[in-house]
Amino acid sequence: MAAAHHPTTKQYIQIALALAVLTGIEIALFYIEEGVDAVTTSVTAPALLILAAIKFVMVVGWFMHVRFEKPLVSRFFAVGFVIAIALYAIVLSDMGRAILGG
Amino acid sequence: MSVAHDVHESTGIENRKLGMWAFLSSEFLFFGALISNYLLFKGRFPMEDPLHPINFYDIPFTSISSFILLMSSLTMVLAHHALSENDQRAARTWLLATAALGLTFLSGQFYEFSEFVIKGASLSAAPVWSSFFVLTGFHGAHVAIGVLMLLILFVVSLRNDGLSEAQGMNLELVGLYWHFVDIIWIVIFTVIYLIP
Repeated sequence: MAAAHHPTTKQYIQIALALAVLTGIEIALFYIEEGVDAVTTSVTAPALLILAAIKFVMVVGWFMHVRFEKPLVSRFFAVGFVIAIALYAIVLSDMGRAILGG
Repeated sequence: MSVAHDVHESTGIENRKLGMWAFLSSEFLFFGALISNYLLFKGRFPMEDPLHPINFYDIPFTSISSFILLMSSLTMVLAHHALSENDQRAARTWLLATAALGLTFLSGQFYEFSEFVIKGASLSAAPVWSSFFVLTGFHGAHVAIGVLMLLILFVVSLRNDGLSEAQGMNLELVGLYWHFVDIIWIVIFTVIYLIP
């Protein structure tokens, strides 16, 4: 993959600024949830997870250059991620059921 | 990432690079286990207990630490970008900046741990605290290893008056590792600190 396809310094800084703004929104959401009774965790938790997922994809895609690499790289990376998410989702749901069930 | 270098196998991706991606992929399972462990113990811990982690977290402080680690990913990618344009001096500067930001993050984590211990939390205080210290401690250890690798690259660059093509691949691998440490912190910051 030629280096010319990669972002420029200016674009990298723009991505970092976007990441900083997203982090700011996350922190704001945390305080909104603390301060406003009407806003519950059921609203903020998914929003926080979505923001974290966007930041995750931005770092992996642009800073780790996965979007400019051969598909094999993203497959390698995705396999571990998907297995981990699936495995621990099963563990957490199963253990959670066991705890709730007494 | 693509500083010019030889490709050493049939996939078109350098073996060491593919190895690093496989390693990072396996690290998801490692950190996934630690995060799940923390969530399980946190779920069982009574909210009204004064030892509940939510009473200890200093969100403004951790937010600044998170911002510092996030910006270290920028300096890391700028080091790689500078090297791909054969700007050895800029690459060296950004490498040092990344190491400095990593050390700042580690200092913050040390301060945070000290504060928690002073307030009564410790590895043996409760299972939720054991899992917290193990998770964030292992992440901190990853950051420390990253800082060490960055400083080694910096010294090699100083001694050899720049990084060669082969050493450029080393910088690329350290960069991948560093960004991975950053994305793990993105998850930890949200799941452990921000979501009650």
